[in-house]
Amino acid sequence: MQGRNGLPVCVKNMSDNGKEKEQVTLTIDGKEISVDKGTTVLDAATLMGIHIPTFCWHPKLDSIGACRMCLVDVEKFPKPAVACATEAMPGMIVRTDTDEIVKARRGVLEFMLLNHPLDCPTCDKGGECDLQDNVFHYGIDKSRQAFTRRRVIDDQTTDAFDDKRIGPEIIRNMNRCVTCYKCIRFNKEIAGEYDLGAYERGNHTVIDAAPGEQIDNFYSGNVVEICPVGALTNTDWRYKIRNWKAKQTLSLCSHDADGQNIMLWHDQRQLWRATSRRNDDIDDGWICNIARYGYQYINSPDRLKTPLIKKEGKQVPASWDEAISLISKRFKEIKDSKGSVCLAGLIGGNQSVETAYLFNKFFRNKLHTNNLDYRLEYIDLKGSDETEAYNCLYRAPFTIADLEQADVVFVFGSNFIKDHPAINLRLRKAYRKFGTKVYTANPVETKSADISLDEMIYSPDTETAFIAGLIHAIIDNKYYKNIDETKAAEVKTMLAPATLDEAARLCGIEQERIVNLAKVLSEANNPYILAGDYFVASAKRHRTANGMYDLANLLGIKDSNAIILASQANSMGADRVGVRPRLTENLKKTLIDKWGEELPESPGSNTSQILNNSLDEEIDGLFILGANPAMRYPDGPFVNSALDKLDFLVVADLFETATSAKADVVLPLAGWAEQSGAYVNVEGRYQKFEKAQDADKGIKSGIEIIHSIARAMDLSLNLDNAALMHETKDIVDAFEREARDEAKFFEVKQAQIPEHDNYPYRLLVGNDIHHFGYVTEHCPSLMRFTPEPYLEISPNLAEKLGIDEETLVRIESTTGKLVLKARFSEYFEGDVLFIPNNFSATEVTGLVSREGGGWVKIEKLDDK
Amino acid sequence: MEQVFLKYIDDPNQHKIDTYIEHGGYQAIQKVFKEYQPTEVIDTVKASGVRGRGGAGFPAGLKWSFVPQNTGKPIYLACNGDESEPGTCKDRVIMENNPHLIIEGIMICCYAINAHHAFIYIRGEFAHPAARVEAAINEAYAKGYLGKNIFGTGFDLDIIVHTGGGAYICGEETSLLSSIEGSRGNARIRPPFPAVEGLYKCPTVINNVETLSSLPSIFNNGVEWYRSHGTEKSPGTKIFSLSGNVNKPGNYEVDLGTPLSYVINDLGGGIQNGHKLKAIIPGGSSTPLLMPDQIDTPLDYEAVAEAGSMLGSGAIIVIDERSCMVWVLMKLINFYAHESCGRCTPCREGTAWLKQLINRIENGDGQPGDIELILDVCDNIMGRTICPLGDAAVMPVRSFIQHFRDEFEYHIEHKKCKVETDYPFV
Amino acid sequence: MLKTFWDIIKTTVIALPIGLYTTFKHVFKKPVTKKYPKAKSEMMPRYRGLHYLERYDDGTERCVCCGLCAAACPADAIYMEPDENEKGERFAKVYEINMIRCIFCGFCEEACPEEAIFLGHEFELANDNRDGFIYSKDDMLVEHPRKDRPYKTIYRRTRRHSM
Repeated sequence: MQGRNGLPVCVKNMSDNGKEKEQVTLTIDGKEISVDKGTTVLDAATLMGIHIPTFCWHPKLDSIGACRMCLVDVEKFPKPAVACATEAMPGMIVRTDTDEIVKARRGVLEFMLLNHPLDCPTCDKGGECDLQDNVFHYGIDKSRQAFTRRRVIDDQTTDAFDDKRIGPEIIRNMNRCVTCYKCIRFNKEIAGEYDLGAYERGNHTVIDAAPGEQIDNFYSGNVVEICPVGALTNTDWRYKIRNWKAKQTLSLCSHDADGQNIMLWHDQRQLWRATSRRNDDIDDGWICNIARYGYQYINSPDRLKTPLIKKEGKQVPASWDEAISLISKRFKEIKDSKGSVCLAGLIGGNQSVETAYLFNKFFRNKLHTNNLDYRLEYIDLKGSDETEAYNCLYRAPFTIADLEQADVVFVFGSNFIKDHPAINLRLRKAYRKFGTKVYTANPVETKSADISLDEMIYSPDTETAFIAGLIHAIIDNKYYKNIDETKAAEVKTMLAPATLDEAARLCGIEQERIVNLAKVLSEANNPYILAGDYFVASAKRHRTANGMYDLANLLGIKDSNAIILASQANSMGADRVGVRPRLTENLKKTLIDKWGEELPESPGSNTSQILNNSLDEEIDGLFILGANPAMRYPDGPFVNSALDKLDFLVVADLFETATSAKADVVLPLAGWAEQSGAYVNVEGRYQKFEKAQDADKGIKSGIEIIHSIARAMDLSLNLDNAALMHETKDIVDAFEREARDEAKFFEVKQAQIPEHDNYPYRLLVGNDIHHFGYVTEHCPSLMRFTPEPYLEISPNLAEKLGIDEETLVRIESTTGKLVLKARFSEYFEGDVLFIPNNFSATEVTGLVSREGGGWVKIEKLDDK
Repeated sequence: MEQVFLKYIDDPNQHKIDTYIEHGGYQAIQKVFKEYQPTEVIDTVKASGVRGRGGAGFPAGLKWSFVPQNTGKPIYLACNGDESEPGTCKDRVIMENNPHLIIEGIMICCYAINAHHAFIYIRGEFAHPAARVEAAINEAYAKGYLGKNIFGTGFDLDIIVHTGGGAYICGEETSLLSSIEGSRGNARIRPPFPAVEGLYKCPTVINNVETLSSLPSIFNNGVEWYRSHGTEKSPGTKIFSLSGNVNKPGNYEVDLGTPLSYVINDLGGGIQNGHKLKAIIPGGSSTPLLMPDQIDTPLDYEAVAEAGSMLGSGAIIVIDERSCMVWVLMKLINFYAHESCGRCTPCREGTAWLKQLINRIENGDGQPGDIELILDVCDNIMGRTICPLGDAAVMPVRSFIQHFRDEFEYHIEHKKCKVETDYPFV
Repeated sequence: MLKTFWDIIKTTVIALPIGLYTTFKHVFKKPVTKKYPKAKSEMMPRYRGLHYLERYDDGTERCVCCGLCAAACPADAIYMEPDENEKGERFAKVYEINMIRCIFCGFCEEACPEEAIFLGHEFELANDNRDGFIYSKDDMLVEHPRKDRPYKTIYRRTRRHSM
């Protein structure tokens, strides 16, 4: 944007593969400037510091020249030209300050004000309104319009404001609209959604939701931010505070792993809103609804305010001193009597990287145990975690911005719009502007189908077979690079199923399509393979990761271009500072250097092993910081019984959760906006966020809690906040990953799909598109989008089983049962079902077993 | 006078393909295939000097030569049959009476620019002409004159008829392309020009129905024959749609350069009931007025421009002394305000404001200073819009006020028309 | 300089009664002192005293909590929180002026776009604790719209349609 938020305008042109662009020299207002070929006059003027006002221009949208505000006088042009769409030509002479141009701008403003209501006192946009600013600058104070203003009257019971709610979070006042079309252009061009449109024409143009629809797409909050006037406003900012009264703080989205940059607005110890803080390397200025509304849980009245201690089976409020001394006493007891191998720590993926590092240091260096993990949402099977292929691909040096240079992108096992909203928009930009070819392979149909050249739907749990088939196709047709025939034949023997035919049959995709994908990937100059949450959540993902590794090597894909994308805000950060049982050699050395001591020798357990060991009573003390495995980890009953068996469980969290209900000590935790720190995003990029406000008295941050416990146990960690930040940054920077070995190939064997005769439908469990994890339940805006859980079912299957929309359905698996309302899916076509796991009142993980995922049977519940 | 478009206007079967062939149809295209290369066709059209008949008068051959042939993208032709300029009804008569003439013209143009898909955009209100054109196309397909390998030459050509939804703005070339693509008919900024990036971002040529219909006669009879009609800079014949206070309104095809007086008095039978002529709109409502002392102006692009107006689409509207000019202007500005597409601010808000002001003057509520305000608003619209609709709205307003300011001032002062009349439509 | 005996007489015996006479004259003149608090004087029309929040003729509050008075206040004395009432209109849920900070300059009255806040003639604001100086909306909102007074004409008597 043009200098809003005090940030400099960024005029990067990303389309040229880094080549040197031709330079063009032109003169603006008497001063010469040299710019890249293809730059517009508007961008050239901005680079020179000359401000040309605009309404309908946006740096990331195609210019349409609709508002006519940026008219400039170009010599030799018969009439003024729009600076936002006129390409700078060599020798052009431009003037932006002639009398005619000033008159033109005043004319345009006068036209806009003709029917614009005098709403400034009640309009939320006051103080940040382009129209207000420009009118003030050009000094138009007398109206020559003597007619009743045109009023767009809606079907409201009260016509006091003509404010119409056109979406769960968006309120539209058509009288204020200056018809710049930015909202529609964003929706159509960037997000690929069509729920907002223009109706009628001329002076009576109305911007509205499609008939019968609401604006509830995942990026809908952005239309409010780019509206230059107060025509579209957010419900969560409505009548709350004036923008000049609120303070702004740099921050990051604390939910998904893309690391979208946001600006938090706050005042009086209350967060008021989040807006985007444009970062061209990651989010391009567009943030998803979860990033935009997902701060509200910090304000929630349900936050834990005091520590709780379980006394006689009930949790009662207690003081911090009492809680900390109890924790230190019990931990010491367990350590001294049974050994530190009986202590374990689990930390959530949205805790800052400093918290994660301190957690690591406390458990490894002071409590001498390697039982640490941060992966609490999916299973790591015993003995198969930490494989070389998986780790190598997980840590690939991927860059979001470089995705624009890709010519073929293969998205594998990901509902991209849900898992990685910023990367999704970047992929759509590559498709739209640079002609990138996209192929997707998923267990269900997703929105990406609208840009995908071939959307392949494989049968559930057959990802490994699919990859094996792809490798077969490459080897059979000699699409491989960098290896010889004997090596290729050797690789072929490492695959199961053993032929392309078998693989295609198993995963349910026609051979021709697999061969075609192999061909396209092999002919590409800069292909990418991106794997996401369906991949990561699958229990057999290490087998598939082997396949992806082999695939990348066979096709000669660059090291940075094949990646398994992390899922949480600080997953990569926790990985880099070593919150996991097994560390890379390099990281071990760094930690030993920093701490001056050897690391504990015990092998260490990951989440799954910790829970298993808890059930077997081999682990007695567990500290869970900012995580909720009882609700989110697969197989709820197993997790619950494991936690019950623990001798001593400490849970530190923002809210009371299913996990905290089992704890012996519950500590109130500060949220990310109440401390400063950093996250490491999916690219491995270290990004800082600042503290927006102090936590309420009685709530402490994770760092403070760990320090308190360490002090109470006489194990001082000797790190003040500044030193902690430095040390953490050093460790993150020092992290080295082994590059993918082009000569190495792993075996790719499809695991057997378990018997599920009576349970014919595969259930996928994950986040609803407007929720993330377990905290967004406390965000009122996100709850307006999706207030309750549902069973997502394809219309075909529903018709077969006689299920109507909104009817109750009983879902049963071998481990549990549930009753939910059915909802027809926009995308699903087959026999796969989906239930969102974001609502604490509905325990979903009971349906998902630890061995083979969730196979269920469903039946309609008759109304009694 | 020798006619090209209306030659067979009296034959009720001219729209059928057999009659058309009988009357010498589909000979020019076969001649072109046999004897001309595409570039030679363009040169011939350039040499003949035929100018676009949609209103702008841009030389057709020159427009075709702007199309780049080497982009790898398909080239399209869009035939503009969205005839909505008030007063104009010339394309309609070609579409109803002689649709094969259009088809043959399209074939010639497509061969010249190497286009294999052509679209005929017909306004939605023209149900009957569109039906005639579609029937003619089906006949051509049946005879192998359209589709794959037309006339056995190996050239493929498909013509698609696209009917509009009722918008004057879709007669503007970029809005027409938007409409064919399925979007709202909003104008697009130029550059990039349609010849380089038009329909579906491919090079596109847009020509009026009448322009394309003149091509067969050029190739049948030769460039000299074509240049023998009309003037040096404006060769050929044109249909003028005569309407207003004349005895015989209708479509008349004459050579360009014919004096206006001939068309109005001789062909049109003069003013009704012997009333006095007050003003003439020479080229559709978007053009400035001509006064009675300019009645001998020759009807060609240069002479009319010299007289202070534009030849435009050739719709001559004759206004006699019975009409109040404020009322006439009100009717015109109501049209433009209704038809504005709403994309750019000056046209969208400005035409609506002009409508309010002029209506107010006509209804007797005019305030002193309104005329200056109207002219100021016109200054803010003219030249500041994306497409010429803004200019088209402003030019009659300025022209009416320039020539008949006294009538406006009378309205403001006396709150009624200066012209005392029992004309039924006031 | 006292030169002669006559000078001494002039300056003492004769001057004294003249001075005392001037004093004595005022014994019988009416004093200009007002017997405050029993008698209070009327303030000048443009006197800036305690604020009051006006209503429209039909009784609705004028203040829409736009924040301009707080923005204009040079002493940062005004605090407000907006909210939406049943009719969907914006109004001030919380409106407070800290009278210790307030310098009674009248900028808030000039800035208000709704002619909602005026400075009246009330000046007896003394209090014995600091908290008593935070005047809330209840303290300042008038019960009925006040009539026009000279120099404080109200230009709009009904609510704007769009708000």
